[in-house]
Amino acid sequence: MTGAPVPNQEGVAGPFWEAARQGRLVAQRCQGCGYIFLPPRRWCPRCWASQLEWIACSGRGRVYSFTVVHQAPSHFFQRRAPYVLAIVELEEGPRLMANIVGVEPARVHIDMAVQVTFERRGEVPVPQFTPIDKGDEDAEAR
Amino acid sequence: MPRGVAIAAASELPPGRYPHMTVLDLYEEAVSLLLREWHLSPRMIDGLLCAPAGMARGEETDIFTHERLAYALGLRPTFAETVNAGGATYALMVQRACWAIKEGVASAVLCLGAGKFPSVSRGGADAMARMVSHPHFEYIYGAYIVPLYALIARRFMHERGTTPQEMAAVAVAARQWAMLHPHALMRGAGPLSVDDVLASRPIAEPFHLLDCSVPCEGGGALVVARDDVAMEINPRPAHILGWGEFHSHGYVTWAPELATAGARWSIEQAYARAGLGPSDIRVAELYDAFTICPIILLEEAGLARRGEGGRLFAQGHCSPGGPLPVNTYGGLLSYSHTGDASGLSMIVEGALQVMGRAGARQVPEAEVVLVHTYGGMMAEHSTLILGRRR
Repeated sequence: MTGAPVPNQEGVAGPFWEAARQGRLVAQRCQGCGYIFLPPRRWCPRCWASQLEWIACSGRGRVYSFTVVHQAPSHFFQRRAPYVLAIVELEEGPRLMANIVGVEPARVHIDMAVQVTFERRGEVPVPQFTPIDKGDEDAEAR
Repeated sequence: MPRGVAIAAASELPPGRYPHMTVLDLYEEAVSLLLREWHLSPRMIDGLLCAPAGMARGEETDIFTHERLAYALGLRPTFAETVNAGGATYALMVQRACWAIKEGVASAVLCLGAGKFPSVSRGGADAMARMVSHPHFEYIYGAYIVPLYALIARRFMHERGTTPQEMAAVAVAARQWAMLHPHALMRGAGPLSVDDVLASRPIAEPFHLLDCSVPCEGGGALVVARDDVAMEINPRPAHILGWGEFHSHGYVTWAPELATAGARWSIEQAYARAGLGPSDIRVAELYDAFTICPIILLEEAGLARRGEGGRLFAQGHCSPGGPLPVNTYGGLLSYSHTGDASGLSMIVEGALQVMGRAGARQVPEAEVVLVHTYGGMMAEHSTLILGRRR
């Protein structure tokens, strides 16, 4: 694998990627039990209801866990190494994997406040996260 | 009276490189070794469990492995299948054999495994990344096995206070045990220090190269049998006192309990079935793809207090001569990781310890041994408790 990996935008996740093309981050909410989740699914993983709706997310969240990757799985990512691979917990609850960009890897920490930014991969804007300045000041104060 | 079940026989090929052999050849090599080491005859065996040959290599996975091996062995079993749960495969085989035997479906089940770890440098890391990560929501960010486990490690360190030095001590203890095992792959590399581990090159923080298990090739075999059949094969079998199973998540990002991966739900079942608790365990064999894993599992098994698993390793408690020996064969970290067959190594060792056949590394007090294995990205768990007495 040498090219940029691109997500499949077909199927149940279609509206997620359509929103991403408009610079918006969305999640699914179950109309039965109210559970908000990602990645997109055909039914609610809590109650199995299939009546789901799309909601807009604030795009803000916190780093739940992260790693600085030095040895990458492919040439594409080795050119970016060292890069930060993280799990971000959104304000609305769902978790997403992403890279934390626009910051020195050594400054990333658990609970760091981050906001979504989109990286173009060919035709597809892929969600990534970058620190919110205030979050950085909080970190310095600790 | 309920029937007991035991591991009657256990054999494992020396881990290494077998370039002239296919995985199916390795299966046959493992069977040959079992037949040389134990007195077995085809009439004793009426069950056969295998893993899919070629699984971790992502090429030509053979889901009919049990049919090919039943043919090779001249068996016509009443109970047979090819089963997979990654590293948890073999402990699950032992459990399934227990059920079949207790139901009277079989009386002695041959459990076989062989594997070749894919070459990480020649595209193997990417092939495995595609297998274990979500294709559209994880893979595209440069996720693969080491960083996915690093995410578990970082969260566990955050919640429990484990340090990189304590993780390095797990690799040091594994090497100490490996020095006592004639087949451990890293035996010849000599002892390790905490500083050696911390000075090895970073792969995905907090993991250095020496925080990761050693890839190689190998295979092995177990005979799980009803007590009376087991005693015919081996007068000191490893009685299976308890077992547990739990499947926690499909992908790391959405694991409900990221720091501990849900391991305790499997371990608690095993304790309950055995009617035993942490204070009864004399030796623990804990699947150790990375140094953080035995620390997590010690705490989840109640063998260390919350946040103190790492300290036990750092203080030498889990090393040879310590009060709680862990991974007495050198672990996947220093004995080595045989790809698809890795989950067999710690069961073979647990059984040999209970049988009193572990040679220079024998722990005299190995009356009751806990074996915990997991598969996927620490997603599926299987626990066994083995004992000298029923």
